[in-house]
Amino acid sequence: MANYLSTTERETKEMLESIGVKSLDELFDDIPKDLRLKKLDLPEGKSQQETMEYMRALSKKNKVYDVILRGAGSYDHYIPSMVKNLASRSEFITAYTPYQAEMSQGILQAIFEYQSMVCSLTGMDVSNASVYNGANAAAEAMLMCTEKTRKTFVTFDNIRPDTLKVIKTYAKRRGIEVKVLSPKDGAADLKALKAAVGEDTSCVYLEQPNYFGLIEDAEEVGKIAHDAGAKFVMGCNPISLALLKSPAECGADIAVGDGQPLGLPMAFGGPYVGFMACTSKEMRKMPGRIVGETVDHDGNRAYVLTLQAREQHIRREKAFSNICSNQAYCALVASMYLSAMGPQGLKEVAESCTDYAHYLAAALEKVGLKRRDKGEFFHEFVTVSETGADKILKALDRAGILGGLKLSEHEILWCATETLTKADLDKAVEIIGRVK
Amino acid sequence: MNLIFEISEQGKRCATIRKPDVQKSSLAKKYLRSGNLELPEVSEVDFARHYTALSRRAFGVDNGFYPLGSCTMKYNPKINEEVAGLEGFTRIHPLQPQSTVQGALEVMETLQRDLAEITGMDAVTLQPNAGAHGEYTGLQLIAAYHTARKDFKRTKVIVPDSAHGTNPASAVMAGFEIINVPSDEEKGVDLKALKAVVGEDTAALMLTNPTTLGLFEKNIKEISKIIHGAGGLLYYDGANLNAVMGIVRPGDMGFDVVHLNLHKTFSTPHGGGGPGSGPVGCKKELAAFLPGPIAEKTARGSYRLVECKKSIGKVASFYGNFGVYVRALAYIVTLGAEGIKSCAQHAVLNANYLKANIEDLYPTEKGRHCMHEFVVSMQELKDKTGVSAMDIAKTMIDRGYHPPTMYFPLIIHEALMFEPTETENKRTLDEVIKALREIYEEAFKDPEYMKAAPHHAQIGRPDEVRAARQPIVKYTKE
Repeated sequence: MANYLSTTERETKEMLESIGVKSLDELFDDIPKDLRLKKLDLPEGKSQQETMEYMRALSKKNKVYDVILRGAGSYDHYIPSMVKNLASRSEFITAYTPYQAEMSQGILQAIFEYQSMVCSLTGMDVSNASVYNGANAAAEAMLMCTEKTRKTFVTFDNIRPDTLKVIKTYAKRRGIEVKVLSPKDGAADLKALKAAVGEDTSCVYLEQPNYFGLIEDAEEVGKIAHDAGAKFVMGCNPISLALLKSPAECGADIAVGDGQPLGLPMAFGGPYVGFMACTSKEMRKMPGRIVGETVDHDGNRAYVLTLQAREQHIRREKAFSNICSNQAYCALVASMYLSAMGPQGLKEVAESCTDYAHYLAAALEKVGLKRRDKGEFFHEFVTVSETGADKILKALDRAGILGGLKLSEHEILWCATETLTKADLDKAVEIIGRVK
Repeated sequence: MNLIFEISEQGKRCATIRKPDVQKSSLAKKYLRSGNLELPEVSEVDFARHYTALSRRAFGVDNGFYPLGSCTMKYNPKINEEVAGLEGFTRIHPLQPQSTVQGALEVMETLQRDLAEITGMDAVTLQPNAGAHGEYTGLQLIAAYHTARKDFKRTKVIVPDSAHGTNPASAVMAGFEIINVPSDEEKGVDLKALKAVVGEDTAALMLTNPTTLGLFEKNIKEISKIIHGAGGLLYYDGANLNAVMGIVRPGDMGFDVVHLNLHKTFSTPHGGGGPGSGPVGCKKELAAFLPGPIAEKTARGSYRLVECKKSIGKVASFYGNFGVYVRALAYIVTLGAEGIKSCAQHAVLNANYLKANIEDLYPTEKGRHCMHEFVVSMQELKDKTGVSAMDIAKTMIDRGYHPPTMYFPLIIHEALMFEPTETENKRTLDEVIKALREIYEEAFKDPEYMKAAPHHAQIGRPDEVRAARQPIVKYTKE
């Protein structure tokens, strides 16, 4: 019913006359008649009110949990009001990629600030304007590192499953071998890594913290990669970077990750934002948009899309990547989140996450859910228990609590963030204690 | 204006969180970062003013005329933003039990079905995050299809010289070699040249229809015959679907695989460069290769996620840009069958109206109606006055309009590509026509002034060479 046109019937008639045709149909004369469709088999349109009612009804068919103890790549964090409010300005929402620098300084500067913040978090020299999500950032990093004589990508079976799946898709048909090593006690097995890397290794990819929440000995992994002449790529949770050594401190050549924890809702998996940063040595191989500072002809500071000789619209088949649209708006939200939190706020979020996660781990231990792995962890950890995972999770579900993610019949991956309270955790543990 | 780092003062706070009410934990020192985290420290009012100032230096569809060709900058309905922000869509975890996200799965399944109908395809995956990502996915499907038939020789993808840059780049990422084919005099694919390059090594032809020149490829049936006759497949780049949706379907034109841009055709906002969404549809012969999971309706009327049997694998995490699907579905539901068709009709009407009233000065393809966009060549004006397509674009900025796409497609010299979209109103188009005619006259009267445009924008022309030669890509504290 609504169609968002803004032309009246009278205007339409005037316009047709001006063009010199009698009907709208005549404009489509180039389309062979026999190919034309009679009518789309779709329902009739709705009024906006009906659309709102329809979509609201759909949204209510989803269960929103009061307490969320599940992470595994999507995290429930507090999103400050000022982020939601300022990000909703329609100039940000309805703009295109800032091709025309003279009227897009706001978008360009926002991206420049985002890049600067990603560089602060990761310690790297250069960040791009974002890629699709964390998994794609890792896959793009793999392509960046691949060389004629180095085509083997090495990682451990303790990275996010979706990341591994996307990497495997991107490796296909490019002659890239993906070597997935078994972890030891959930973490990178340094001995196995040393044996696995060699002259054909393009890079070693490590997630910090890894999928099981464990903090890896990233510096050692980086050294092993570099000793073999390979690059070192780290995938990071951006909140954890407020506490943990930055990828640069660990010797990484490329740092990637998913920016969802930085002010983006879980939203059933997307849109999120993949961040990607590297050393200046790798800069000209980096995919995606990059905003740079320059001056205009009067010498005023100005921002532009730069180093475009890397990109598909210039290099076509010789481009390093096909990426064009990225997740700029999500990157804006992430940078707003970082500005709103500031260094102290971000550290407090990270500490709150670790405090609640460690409290939960200790409390679960008392009701028979023991940690599976020995190492230190950030805000996720795996438990093993005699009681089946399904039973535990169902009992929690009945109380409006989304428990951890079932990894196997008796293993659960838990997550805690600053959104929780001691009372939430005590309640969850009490329910689990009663499960037989 | 200042960077947010430049208004930062140590000790200022903005957002605050609750103090944890459990015991403090501590991590081993060897894991902890040293040194300060260089993030801005601002107060809430500093924050609000900074981002408001940035937004005032951005230009969106809500600000004015935005005829950026090939990008379909149509109006982004507000209701779509509101529904995508409903708690039942934003505060759900992607790994919740499927029984608790039936609404989300219904959104996905309904959208998949609607897009299949609109494109004339049998199956759809929503997973790709953007148009180029969709191209990559579609080409992997094509590779998987040939491989499954043990037809291993098909290593080449044919791309017209007028194609989007993403086409060849995506095909290379998917492991193919590129063969470029020239355009004929009518700016369509040169059939002779096409016949000369197809063969047993042809995996696919990638085509945009209407083409990037805004013209309908009249020989589409013949092209389809040539490609299919050689055993190849036909790939539809959906960037220009807005011109023909509800009127002709890629599936009926002979295409086997198609990607769409929800952020162009289906009104979801561009957000300054994304997030987009690039769903891929295909004919049933290719459906088993789609990246999963995809949503499915069961016989009992509930919804579930399923994997495809011979999937090429995942191309993005979870299920792609779900929030974009919610907006696109709200749009399709509002428009319905008739509304969708009228979008295409009015997109074409607006483009032809603009074209008809400037083409005596801004020359374009003669004697044909354009589709949703048209490309003018300013070569003659440049020869006469020295004023280039770029100078015209920058002069438009001075008048408060976003310029059209410049210097694309590559086969047209001094190209400007106008796409007004169906949501533009006649009054604005009339103003723009008047402005463009005046600008043309100005090129003769004062070319030097135009070559220095814009004069009234946020900045003058930036030094792009300096930006690339001495890259400054982040803030550094002085």
